Amino acid sequence: MTLNARLASWLPPLLPLIVSLGAAEIAVRLAWVPSYLVPAPSEVLQSLLDDRSELALAAWATLSSALAGLALSFLAGTFFAIVLSSSDLARRAFYPYAVFFQTVPIISIAPLLVIWFGFGQPTVIASATIVSVFPIIASTLLGLKSTEPALLDLFKLYTASSGQTLWMLKIPFALPQIFSGLRIASGLAVVGAIVGEFIGGGGLGSVVDGARTQQRIDRVFAAVLISSLLGVVLVGAVNFISALSLGSWHSSERNSS
Amino acid sequence: MNVLLLLLSLVVLPVAAQTAELAKQTSIKFALNWKAEPEFGGFYAAKLAGSFEKRGLNVEITEGGAGTPVVQMVANSKVPFGIAAADEVVLSQARGTDVVALFAVYQTNPQGIMVHPQRGFKSLGDVFGAPGTLAIQSGAPYTLFLQAKFPGAKVKLVPYAGGIAQFLTDANHSQQCFVTAEPLLAKKKNQPAQSFLIADAGFNPYGTVLIARRRYLEQNPKQARDLVDAIRDGWSDYLRAPEAANAWMVKLNPAMDSETMKESAEVQKPFILAANTPSKELGKMSTVRWTSLVNQLSDLKLIKKKPAVEKLFHNF
Repeated sequence: MTLNARLASWLPPLLPLIVSLGAAEIAVRLAWVPSYLVPAPSEVLQSLLDDRSELALAAWATLSSALAGLALSFLAGTFFAIVLSSSDLARRAFYPYAVFFQTVPIISIAPLLVIWFGFGQPTVIASATIVSVFPIIASTLLGLKSTEPALLDLFKLYTASSGQTLWMLKIPFALPQIFSGLRIASGLAVVGAIVGEFIGGGGLGSVVDGARTQQRIDRVFAAVLISSLLGVVLVGAVNFISALSLGSWHSSERNSS
Repeated sequence: MNVLLLLLSLVVLPVAAQTAELAKQTSIKFALNWKAEPEFGGFYAAKLAGSFEKRGLNVEITEGGAGTPVVQMVANSKVPFGIAAADEVVLSQARGTDVVALFAVYQTNPQGIMVHPQRGFKSLGDVFGAPGTLAIQSGAPYTLFLQAKFPGAKVKLVPYAGGIAQFLTDANHSQQCFVTAEPLLAKKKNQPAQSFLIADAGFNPYGTVLIARRRYLEQNPKQARDLVDAIRDGWSDYLRAPEAANAWMVKLNPAMDSETMKESAEVQKPFILAANTPSKELGKMSTVRWTSLVNQLSDLKLIKKKPAVEKLFHNF
């Protein structure tokens, strides 16, 4: 890529950022908005620099819990989706309970998680898992149910076992949906981890809680900024894996980069 | 055309008059930072006895919960009056607001640490020196004060989510409390609790403090004075006879039964009245106390520059 082409691809997302940050900075500097309501971007940057070691440790704790929660939801969600796709009866019996995970108000059951799992990381991972499992179940199920009928007939014709049909046809065919579920789940896992940390302790959730108590809104924003970066990193990682595994054959990943 | 105008004015005028009437009675919002409990008994007593109405004030008290940002709500003029702790007032001014303290319910801050008695702790130092968990608000000035005072703590600090559920199920769990409330609730659940006052360890900001913006006081000086007078009357009534206000608060907050309400109202009396406080002195604050609080918060590095002490509070 030439320099000009590089600039052309970076400028569209950067421009709104620069304009909005500049506007916020000016609004606070000119005292149109009090700085205890919205911090100036420069204050947030200062807080990021001042507390960098604490924030880095906290971000690492949150990231590892979110990853663990995401891994658990991937395993459990995929397994659940395979079971549900295997028979209409199973789907009718269990799918309503899968919806429970999407609608559960995590903040209201979080104190219970502490009583079940104790303070610390187990509670945080549980919270991340609960919040992120439903999109994986729903997308994987959709993927498994939308195998091309002609190909299913072909597998039948060659008397493939149901295990072979699952591994060699249904799952590869469902991969784009599985990845799109993972993409949604990875952002949610970060949110779930932070909610879990409010109650279970540690990580960016703890930093936000403490900063709010001290009315340090600049630090709250610094922590929130890092948590959204974590979300971006996770989604980026899923995109990367998706491109690796689909790029060679699926239209959704061809020509996209 | 003129007839039409006349008709129109006939319709519009009464409506306009009504709106003006309503505006006069518009309620003054007063935000608490927790549920209805004896810590707010005097406010409800003032409302019940008509102390606000007598002064032409229509006050609406709203309950809060864990994390209700009352100081920020007042600082941003979402409500004119609210309840906070004295340290929150200092932090808020250090961040550039004009929030002022007007009336302090607790002369001695009832914030404490509640522990299981069978663990045999003799002091806060013992609590910090032993393993187990301690639920305490992270980042709060009293938390930082205790951490600085008892370095090398063995206890694991965990988030405080409100309530006493964890305390009831875990024998190695301690938690922050108002010594006037949670230990009584635990006892009610057949779980004896021992508590230590943070004030005894040396950190004693005024507690349950009425706050407002300085700008609001300057614009409504009479209203603010009347409100504080009514509140002082309310507390004087409540200290003498808490029954009626308690009965009302049990309805608002069924989590605290009437027996515990009554007990709590009794237990908190020495925290509200310094020795022989005459009732007209209720709620008053001193420069000495505010100065030492500002110095402590500065030592804890919670504030960069110290706000002027005389701007932090106003005794009516």
